[in-house]
Amino acid sequence: MSSEATGSSISTQKVSHPVRAPWYFNDYLVLALRLVLAAVFIYAALQKIGRPLAFADEIRMYRILDIGPLLYIMAIALPWIELFCGLSLLTGLLMRGSALIFFVLNAVFLVAVLIRTAGIMGEEGIGFMSVYFDCGCGFGATHAWKKLLEDSAFFLFSLVILLKPDYRFVLNKSRRSP
Amino acid sequence: MNRLKSAVLQAITLLLVGLIVSFAHNSYSVNGINPFREVAEVPVLTEPEFDGTDGIRIIDLGGLEKAFAEGALLIDARTKTEYKEGHIPGAFLIDYYELGRYLKELLPTLDPARRTIVYCYGPDCEDAELLARELYMLGFTDLHVYRGGYEDWVDSGRTIEGGLDQ
Repeated sequence: MSSEATGSSISTQKVSHPVRAPWYFNDYLVLALRLVLAAVFIYAALQKIGRPLAFADEIRMYRILDIGPLLYIMAIALPWIELFCGLSLLTGLLMRGSALIFFVLNAVFLVAVLIRTAGIMGEEGIGFMSVYFDCGCGFGATHAWKKLLEDSAFFLFSLVILLKPDYRFVLNKSRRSP
Repeated sequence: MNRLKSAVLQAITLLLVGLIVSFAHNSYSVNGINPFREVAEVPVLTEPEFDGTDGIRIIDLGGLEKAFAEGALLIDARTKTEYKEGHIPGAFLIDYYELGRYLKELLPTLDPARRTIVYCYGPDCEDAELLARELYMLGFTDLHVYRGGYEDWVDSGRTIEGGLDQ
């Protein structure tokens, strides 16, 4: 359109080249990140759904959310929210919203695991690499450093999905975003 | 900016759907809990003999055997798998984390006035005390916790019972 408006001179034409998206927004990479996050969180959710009392006790271990009903509301609702967000990443429906939730959740998990790790190190007088506990994530006991690495990776995965301008491989008919 | 707005709106939608479905499921599930439940602040008493004072008493191996011989009810608060692998002879299983299901089946058959002893894995686990608190809220009055738990029982060389499914 601009070439017609500016006349016949080729030298004055503005040719707009599409901006090349950074490598981390590659459609196949983002699809892989979605599938990994969806698989992990759907599995974790299914381990916790229907066991609110057990999950409440696991959250209580963190000693940061022992505020009456809030703890139980979290124990009831969080597994279902994880399940719906996992399904959203799988299907592409409301995906930017689920990416935002996973981004915030993983940031909170990171801080919580760091605080608990520091607490265990202080109480038991052991080094960072030796801290081993059940994080209450639905995957049993693990080393704190592994959990921190995992949460950091999930945090980055959800950030990439959240910031990607356009989505592909989604169930929405219009493959446009938002 | 549009993308951020859309992300926030979608996140709110997902959170609302999650909240509604989870609370609906919780109200139907046998393991559902009341989020506004108050956990009883039950005094934990070290005097093993019941003297009418309200609270949960801590007993040792000798106290457990004596009480059991006198007809006390013994409850294993561990998981079904652990129970099946081995438990103190005569103990009933009430998995603390699936309380709703077990209480629905067992509660009508239990006498709250009967001396009741609860144990879990060992001295470091809290599940026996947590289960005792739940039973206290259900009206059980003569509650004891065998703090040594299954570990102490096995270490003392006593026989175990296994393979039974309650």
